Amino acid sequence: MIDESKLAKIVGASNISREQATLEEYSKDMSFVNTVKPEYVVKPRNTGDVEKIVNLARETLTPLVPISSGPPHFRGDTVPGIGGTIIVDLSSMKRIIRVDSLNRVAMFEPGVTYGELIPAVAEEGLRLNMPLLPRTSKSVVGSMLEREPVIMPKYHWDISDPLSCTEVVFGTGDIFRTGAAAGPGTIEEQWAAGGAQKEAAGPSSASWYRLIQGAQGTMGIVTWASARCELLPRVEEPFLVGSSQLDTILDLVHWLIRLRLVNECFVLNNANLAAIMAKKWPDDYRDIKVMLPPWVLFFNIAGYEYLPEERVSGQVKDMMDIAQRVGLEAVQAIGGVSAFTLLEGVQRPSQEPYWKLRYKGACHDIFFLTLYDKIPAMISAMYDAADGAGYPASEIGVYLQPIVQGTTCHCEFNLFYNLENQSELARVKELSNGAIRNLMAKGAFFSRPYGENASTILNRDAATVAALKKVKSMVDPNNVMNPGKLCF
Amino acid sequence: MALEDYQRDMEMCCRCSICKFIPMERIEGVQYANVCPSIARYKFHAYSGGGRMGFGTALLEKRLEYTDTLLEVVYNCQMCGGCDISCKYAMEMEVLEPINEVRIRCVEESHTLPALDRVINTLRKQGTMIPGAKAKRGEWAEGLDVRDFTKQKTEIIYHAGCRTCYDEDMWKVARATVNLLQKGGVTIGIGGGHESCCGSRAYQMGYKEDFLRQAKQTIDLFKKSGAEILVTGCSDCYYAFKVLYDKFGLKGDLEVLHTTEYLDRLIKEGKLKPNKKISAKVTYHDPCHLGRLGEPYLHWQGKEVPGHIRLFEPPKEFRRGTYGIYEPPRDVLKSIPGLKLVEMDRIREYAWCCGAGGGVKETNPEFAQWTAKERIEEAKSTGAEAIVTSCPGCEQNLSDAMKGNGNSLKVYDVVELLERAL
Amino acid sequence: MALKRDIYRALEDVVGPENISEDPVILDSYAWRSCIIAGPQKFVQQFEAVTLPKDTEEVQAIVKLCNRYKIQFKAGSTHWGIYNDPGEPGVVKLDLRRMNHILEINEKNMYAVVEPYVIGAQLQAEVMKRGMICNITGAGSNCSALPLAAHQGIGHMSQSLSYGERNQLALEWVTPDGEIVRLGSLGSVGEWFCGDGPGPSLRGIIRGNTTPLGGLGVYTKAAVKIYHWPGPPTFSIKGVSPHYKPSQIPPGFMFRYISFPSLEKLTEAVYKIGKNEIAFELMGFNAAMMASNIATSNEEDRKIYKQFSELVQGPGTVIIIAGNSPRDFEYKMRVLEIILDETDGKSLEPVEDPKVNGGALWRCIRITASIRETCRATGVFGGEVGGTDVYSLMRDYIALSAPLKADLIRKGLILDDGTNPFTQSIEHGHCGHAETLTRYFAQNAESAKAGGELYMEVNKLAIKNHFGVPAHVWSDAIHDMYGPHANNYTKWLRKIKKTFDPNATSDSTHHISVKK
Repeated sequence: MIDESKLAKIVGASNISREQATLEEYSKDMSFVNTVKPEYVVKPRNTGDVEKIVNLARETLTPLVPISSGPPHFRGDTVPGIGGTIIVDLSSMKRIIRVDSLNRVAMFEPGVTYGELIPAVAEEGLRLNMPLLPRTSKSVVGSMLEREPVIMPKYHWDISDPLSCTEVVFGTGDIFRTGAAAGPGTIEEQWAAGGAQKEAAGPSSASWYRLIQGAQGTMGIVTWASARCELLPRVEEPFLVGSSQLDTILDLVHWLIRLRLVNECFVLNNANLAAIMAKKWPDDYRDIKVMLPPWVLFFNIAGYEYLPEERVSGQVKDMMDIAQRVGLEAVQAIGGVSAFTLLEGVQRPSQEPYWKLRYKGACHDIFFLTLYDKIPAMISAMYDAADGAGYPASEIGVYLQPIVQGTTCHCEFNLFYNLENQSELARVKELSNGAIRNLMAKGAFFSRPYGENASTILNRDAATVAALKKVKSMVDPNNVMNPGKLCF
Repeated sequence: MALEDYQRDMEMCCRCSICKFIPMERIEGVQYANVCPSIARYKFHAYSGGGRMGFGTALLEKRLEYTDTLLEVVYNCQMCGGCDISCKYAMEMEVLEPINEVRIRCVEESHTLPALDRVINTLRKQGTMIPGAKAKRGEWAEGLDVRDFTKQKTEIIYHAGCRTCYDEDMWKVARATVNLLQKGGVTIGIGGGHESCCGSRAYQMGYKEDFLRQAKQTIDLFKKSGAEILVTGCSDCYYAFKVLYDKFGLKGDLEVLHTTEYLDRLIKEGKLKPNKKISAKVTYHDPCHLGRLGEPYLHWQGKEVPGHIRLFEPPKEFRRGTYGIYEPPRDVLKSIPGLKLVEMDRIREYAWCCGAGGGVKETNPEFAQWTAKERIEEAKSTGAEAIVTSCPGCEQNLSDAMKGNGNSLKVYDVVELLERAL
Repeated sequence: MALKRDIYRALEDVVGPENISEDPVILDSYAWRSCIIAGPQKFVQQFEAVTLPKDTEEVQAIVKLCNRYKIQFKAGSTHWGIYNDPGEPGVVKLDLRRMNHILEINEKNMYAVVEPYVIGAQLQAEVMKRGMICNITGAGSNCSALPLAAHQGIGHMSQSLSYGERNQLALEWVTPDGEIVRLGSLGSVGEWFCGDGPGPSLRGIIRGNTTPLGGLGVYTKAAVKIYHWPGPPTFSIKGVSPHYKPSQIPPGFMFRYISFPSLEKLTEAVYKIGKNEIAFELMGFNAAMMASNIATSNEEDRKIYKQFSELVQGPGTVIIIAGNSPRDFEYKMRVLEIILDETDGKSLEPVEDPKVNGGALWRCIRITASIRETCRATGVFGGEVGGTDVYSLMRDYIALSAPLKADLIRKGLILDDGTNPFTQSIEHGHCGHAETLTRYFAQNAESAKAGGELYMEVNKLAIKNHFGVPAHVWSDAIHDMYGPHANNYTKWLRKIKKTFDPNATSDSTHHISVKK
């Protein structure tokens, strides 16, 4: 156990907490992982602090759990896996270091949230490729490190986007800058030369940022990241397409993305769209839901610097042609939901309370990647599992997000439940465990395994586990970085 | 020219592997992308054009000795020129010439294969590359009312070639050719039993002196006839007379035409009028020595200009297959009513070899057949009922490959179909 | 140093006697030197034996044998680049020629799965039939379609079709110690659509913006992203080699070479074109490369280059506009006009000539003329290769080499083809790349030496001026030049090497080795 005085020497006494109430907050989250109380919560101020903390932890074999977002947490990755853990809460590291409009990139610390970053990049005419309505306390760095799906598949060239470079303190205590940020030169020297820490891969023949993403803090602690940004459009025209035929909607989705016609693009079922749009609960939710078709596709067509109206007008016509070809109609309002209102909403974080918690106060997400053709079968399987577990299938929120320019689809089931209702909680837990196995058997790829199901998921791929352990042995041989997570 | 004269060419090889494939711009799918049967079959890089540049240089640098493996690699090549043409799409270097020179060097240094030696012995004794007595060479023409150019002056002579003369299955093509030319109002003469091998195959096998002896002998015979035009239906012979004889300063003013060129001319002049319908879907196989290697020889005397770009003084043009004979055979087929011509993927200057050339049929019949079978599958993929070609060597090798395989694809010479249409 | 008989026999047992050779003829054909940065030395180190495995299982068996017997191996597909060569005796070659299948083309999810010896032209031809297209590495469509086979995998079409590191999805990898790791969805559910996870992505180990160049095992199958193709299923080509061109320019396509009065104006145009997402291809050829692309002989090359260098304003770029619809095409063309007006860009008129235009368009889609641009002059080429990073930085980096190249031209040590570099824009200008090409007579030892000196000089400049780690950095010596200045990345590369190649069996001549 690390002596508190040593930690105080690093971060200052005011940045350490051993308050029971605080420790309890960090001991659990909204997932089903076991409650494990940390020993301390420390709030480093900068990379130097983080480096010293990690080195101390390494020397004393003290587990660390890095957190960059504020609560509530949902995945179990921020809850200690074993006792004696120190939470390294980076949420106070809130510097927006640089925004480069020419090169469309921004650099910032882990504590920066979407709400903070959006206006900063907007000042430079830029925007972020965001996940769908992140909670207000969500860290941008955290989201990127989790490989959360983003809502503009057109600008999602690679699953790692929009993450570019990082500065990371590995479990060995070494500071390393990934991608172009490695150098030569300090970051300032690189800027002076015209560098912008944009190329994520490298340096040379390894892409370290990929090993840090999806790692749930088991490789190291990221102390800043750069993210590729896109241009703020000058003209936007959003649309909605409603249908009960999911196949047809996915066909349209394929073509809209393939032809690079749309920016934001995702599919929600009526439950999720109602949850997002409802203002007064529970009436609004029920009223909106009943007016909506089972599936709603949302997309946005945008124009930029040159002839934006002409561009949008032409692309809208092209879009209409495609929609007609597949037998669908794009409109700007469905069932009282305005495409413009939705667009405005999804270009910011979720308003409080977080949209997923509005309905019943808690939500458990099951998400995976799959091929388009398999989505209907996955949804059927999930509904069957829900029926079996006594969870009303009609209450499940479904979110389909095409990613990596349409090469795959993030499929997400949101299980809303009342946290205070133990039987509902148990039902959701049982449903989650069973559904995951069932979905995996049907070909669902759980690329981001969290919580108690992580081992079930990872056990299917022993070779990858063996290789990941080798990676772990390189960057965190003492296993101080979030032990007990993934396969570590 | 000797192998040493091509050292600079061989050293130009950049190792790009283009020689293994048809020109990149022509590739239309995964399946028919290879152009070189040798590497397609034997896989090791040595079997490709580029590989041969490498070990050709190694021979000159005395890094290699004449081993069995060397000879195996050297002679498992149909000398089809596919590598040469593909390379020259981008590069300025000879490929086929040094490959041939390596063979010539092997023979000069007495490193040959017994099967080839046997062929050459027949040539030396009987004047033919195909086993058979010299006396029987003219039997294909029995009963034909056709002039003997060794006895009478003749403006246009028809050379049948060894393959035709000594393979009764091919006689029908030669006889049809004579008939058609005569129908077209052409007075031709043949050599009959006096005809001798053009020497082309011998040259491709590396027996340069034998080739030169045959060439001088043959061209003397032609000159004595007073011939101005030579017509042949064999692409190897065509290549010999048009290209090799010119290369060695033997051709003179003799105009060399392939049968299909002449027949095409006659059809376009209205002297032959195909009017009988043949309802069939066919595909045409370009013989290597009529197609990509059938363009005129380019004489050049000069030197390379030293510097950082390969230039010559005077400027040197490379033979790239651009002016090979591709259209006349096709035009003849297109003139036949009812006949539908569909093309394979690998045609014209980037056609896949039939498999017979370069001595491979003699030294490695299995490889010759393997190559032919690849071609047959490609022909079948077009939906054609027949594969039509304009070379007895190709026709024979493709026919052989089809025997016993339950193949319903037929093999014809262009001439056979034209005869039926008249 | 021949392989011990028991080792040779063991390898023979794996692939069969006809698929292995140690004959000098076979070995010497692989030892003929590559064109890249070649010097007077004609032959490089030979392999001890060449094997031709037919599938992943045979590859694994060979790799395991190499580990057991402590001998090195190096796998390759088309064997073009210098990094195919062994660095020292005792290396066994895996020639992956027999692994030449396209395993799947999934149009709905827009990916294709290939083995290493499928070449770019084959994959492109097959996906074009289905209304899709793939990126092709800049070296040419005669190279492997595997996104890990080339040095970098950046290509002419990277503006809209990205590049190898980012186009790669799932992968099958035989590690240097003989394990088979199937990345991403392949390992978990047997599907090819995702190369990342579960958890961290092992794609981070197997390549960066450059590949390990044979030093980290064997990649036996990979899925690669494919993209929408607005053109015809096949380009109807007419003509006979070397004069190929399409019978017509497909509707909705335009090909131009645009020159600018300065590098700054070119850069401004590149950024604008990128941000407005109008270009299918934006390949920053210089006038010499454009001339070489079009010319069918060196003689013609010199004439055209002379003509072009008198006509161009300065640095330039090829641009291909491809419209997904008539409206789309019209819009893109109008925006281009505006941008060129703002940046003083001028079209090179001879390239607009219909006799030339169609052929150039097709060559820059099928990528068939890189050999003309690099090797036709003398069979070899050199220069230096930037990394990937923001376009302006890559431009500035490569501009460093212009005066150095000018000096070599003045001394008569390399071909005078101007000093303008070529630049490339990636993903609509999000990133960029740049290279300087030099062509020279390889047998001139002074030229080769000068090329080496230029290379070292630009390395020093890159370090001093903080221009990133260029892509031409490979081998211990050069990595160690950069490492101390670039976050000691070499320490981490060596950790990967040591961890995943414990017996050091994967030839690391062009990668990095674990120093004793």
